[in-house]
Amino acid sequence: MKRVGIVGAGNIARVHLAGWQRLPVEIVGYYDTVPAAAQRFSEEYGGQAFADLPTLLNQVDIVDICTPAHVHKESVLAAAGAGRAIVCEKPLARHLRDAEAMVEACATAGVPLFVAQVVRFFPEFAKAKAAIDSGAIGKPGVIRTTRAGAFIQHPVFSNFDLSGGVILDVGVHDIDFQRWCMGEVERVFTRSLTFAGIPERDHALITLRFTGGAVGHIEVSWAGPPRHWRTRIEIAGDGGLLEWDREEPKPVTQVVANEAGDGHIRTELSPLAPDDDPYAAELAHFYDHLTMGTPLRVTPHDALMGVKVGLAAIESARTGKPVIIAEFDERE
Amino acid sequence: MLENPTRIGLLSFAHGHAHSYTESLRRRRDVEVVGVYDTDVARGRLAATRHELPFYATVDALLAQELDGVIICAENANHWPLAQRAAGRVRGILCEKPITTTLADAQAMIDRCAETSTKLQIAFPVRYAPAVRWLKTQLDADAFGQVYAVQTTNHGSMPGGWFADPVLAGGGAVIDHTVHVIDLLRWLWQTEVTEVYAEVGHGLLHRGLAIDDVGLLSFRLANGIYGTLDTSWSRSRNYLTWGDVKIDLVAEKGVVYVDAFRQHITVSSHGAGKTRWEPWGSDMDQGLVNDFILMLRADHAPTITGEDGLRALEVALAAYQSAQSGQPVTLPLSS
Repeated sequence: MKRVGIVGAGNIARVHLAGWQRLPVEIVGYYDTVPAAAQRFSEEYGGQAFADLPTLLNQVDIVDICTPAHVHKESVLAAAGAGRAIVCEKPLARHLRDAEAMVEACATAGVPLFVAQVVRFFPEFAKAKAAIDSGAIGKPGVIRTTRAGAFIQHPVFSNFDLSGGVILDVGVHDIDFQRWCMGEVERVFTRSLTFAGIPERDHALITLRFTGGAVGHIEVSWAGPPRHWRTRIEIAGDGGLLEWDREEPKPVTQVVANEAGDGHIRTELSPLAPDDDPYAAELAHFYDHLTMGTPLRVTPHDALMGVKVGLAAIESARTGKPVIIAEFDERE
Repeated sequence: MLENPTRIGLLSFAHGHAHSYTESLRRRRDVEVVGVYDTDVARGRLAATRHELPFYATVDALLAQELDGVIICAENANHWPLAQRAAGRVRGILCEKPITTTLADAQAMIDRCAETSTKLQIAFPVRYAPAVRWLKTQLDADAFGQVYAVQTTNHGSMPGGWFADPVLAGGGAVIDHTVHVIDLLRWLWQTEVTEVYAEVGHGLLHRGLAIDDVGLLSFRLANGIYGTLDTSWSRSRNYLTWGDVKIDLVAEKGVVYVDAFRQHITVSSHGAGKTRWEPWGSDMDQGLVNDFILMLRADHAPTITGEDGLRALEVALAAYQSAQSGQPVTLPLSS
């Protein structure tokens, strides 16, 4: 049985744990720079709280790195050095040099690296990709995606220097999905609130040109009202059009009295079978890669390009000029 | 493939679900799909080729392959003759709905499986649709208070072929779709239908069709809930999707609308010449097949029994009786 250790005992680690628990793996334990956080996981989920990373690495086959992007490098390099298979949360890194160093270290060490660019495992997004592959819309020419939520005050995510703001932290999902559907990115142009000096708002409209000639549009937002969340997909080709919008009617709508009995709450749900939960599915996919050799749906190159195009989009937002991906190097 | 795979044979591809069940079996690492038999040799050979499986010319030749289970997707009237051959030679049978076309055949199948210790599971896959499972969880937790009424639909397109043959199918839209939703209602509330009234139409949607293509059932459940079910083959070939299963509740604490398959992308394709909804929700056929295989491997009792199949069929037959007499029909039917 494969042994799994988790680095970073925060919110996304809880989501990953639910996925690991569906697989035939042993969850050995947790390491966090805040020992109390690892201890809390140990008490809640079982497994050990490790005092340091090397001890954890010593006892596992798979390391699942659930820390924020700006500190991924240290854990990834240590895990690669120890020869462990690696799951790493997205984006791979805050800076291009770090992302390159991680991909190279894993390749050199020959360890599998899977970056959890989970959108490829959302069934509606995977269906859109499958529809393109089936030829249903011909050759795709223009793709539009939206990923829009509210600003949340957070020590990492709302600190641009640590997270890269909405363009890197959220945009990496859309960049990755659009690359999956359309191929490599030639150039990027961005208009955004990122450097506008408006407190507690971040938002970007990103324009892409792909090397195959197609174009793409991305909206990413932390400027919506509280609890707002919207995603949508529109892809047009020379043989048709496909669309999906999270606002469309869902399998469950209920308007039911609240607990106090003084009002009603409207709820809409789109439930999936537990195995189809995207976060469970991405870990099952990596497990299949390790045990059966299933090709990775997200390669280290995909993870690297997610960071590179994201940082290029930030550069464009900063300079007001388009950025050619092949010529892009991050100013640090 | 794991060691000791569960060996499954496929008895007939008359019902298209056989393809989906085969693909669901193939996704499991603990199953070996052994081969295909079909009363229609050409149809069986075609299916065997498509799924790269051996075709067996006789049912006995396939049953001789040390099978653990079979899946029967024959024409409705051929379910019992095939089940009769398989009972006692396999440990479990998954039988496509409706169980049979008559209550006598259904009872015979149940009895024969009991006598031969063959587990009989009926294919009611909608129980495995996540939105329906959500509803079951909520009702079990009494989330809505007293439920007064339930309005349901199971629309579809006109399948044609043997589905429109009164002998092979046992009826049209009413027998085809009543059983799915009635099974859900019996399961959701662990109750029975006590009375059904039905308006049935022939050729109302498909000119010249000799069998029923419209069915509106009005029923009462033993737990006091009243409701209706529209079984009509009312989705044209040009419609966005094949059909639906919808369950709307009016309850003490509010209203609940379940539209079980409302998870799709919209694809407009020059090639297809129309706009279609392409589903991305969880595969309920996989859920059904998983349950069947787990039943065989863990040796537990069927979750959807022959009795469930018979009770659902009985409501469809009562609906036809009501349509003929113009009066509500009380259940159970006297045999």
